[in-house]
Amino acid sequence: MRLEKCWFCSSIVYPGHGIQFVRNDAKIFRFCRSKCHKNFKMKRNPRKVKWTKAYRRLHGKDMTQDATFEFERKRNRPERYDRNLAENTLKAIKKIDKVRSDRAAGYIKKRLDKDKNKKQREAKKELEQGINLVKAPEAIRQDPSLTLPSKVKVQVQVEEKCHQMEE
Amino acid sequence: MIQPQTHLNVADNSGAQELMCIRIIGASNRRYAHIGDVIVAVIKDALPNTPLEKSEVIRAVIVRTCKELKRDNGMIIRYDDNAAVVIDQEGNPKGTRIFGAIARELRQLNFTKIVSLAPEVF
Repeated sequence: MRLEKCWFCSSIVYPGHGIQFVRNDAKIFRFCRSKCHKNFKMKRNPRKVKWTKAYRRLHGKDMTQDATFEFERKRNRPERYDRNLAENTLKAIKKIDKVRSDRAAGYIKKRLDKDKNKKQREAKKELEQGINLVKAPEAIRQDPSLTLPSKVKVQVQVEEKCHQMEE
Repeated sequence: MIQPQTHLNVADNSGAQELMCIRIIGASNRRYAHIGDVIVAVIKDALPNTPLEKSEVIRAVIVRTCKELKRDNGMIIRYDDNAAVVIDQEGNPKGTRIFGAIARELRQLNFTKIVSLAPEVF
């Protein structure tokens, strides 16, 4: 029994799941689910589809180089059974998996921290544009003491000035 | 899912290029043939100067289908095309070479000659 990787999204294909496509030149394409199979039939390139591992690796979204990846490798030689070795391996799998997931999470956190300023700017913009959902525009005009971003205050003043000029 | 009137490619060098299924052998009222089934077919297209000619009626065994094949271990396999190998009454292939990947199921069905000639077995 072998856990294969999906050709399209690189997720693990467990036994009994998914489908295999054998091309006439004997190349095997394994798919984890019909979603990946359908995308393959639509001739989509996994490097251009955003949710695949290939895209994420290519665009620096995920950790690509790490020592923990070395453990997961295709080995064609069956290992001779050793009780102690099997026990230690099973223990190590959990440990290595934890190390890897922690490092992957750390990588993503580090990547997202760069966008902190951008996020703040976006949040500010959203507040400016959406403040009317919290308080009606008329209420804001009557009570400008409401804590508002400066831009909206300016808009209110401009409108008042316009009215005065018309009069 | 091969039924009468289905056109199949030929996966050997017997000289036939295209077959059309006209009967499925093994049951009186069967609708579809799958990988490993023997069919009676008519040659729709053949290479010139070969023993087989167009509109000749022959037997063939199906080696690849576009319709998925389910195995006991839960594996599901599908192939690129519908293809068959021309055989005689004893089940020996008429050609001397087989092209493309073929299914492992043929070995259990005593088409060992075809399996041994095949470049890839899946």
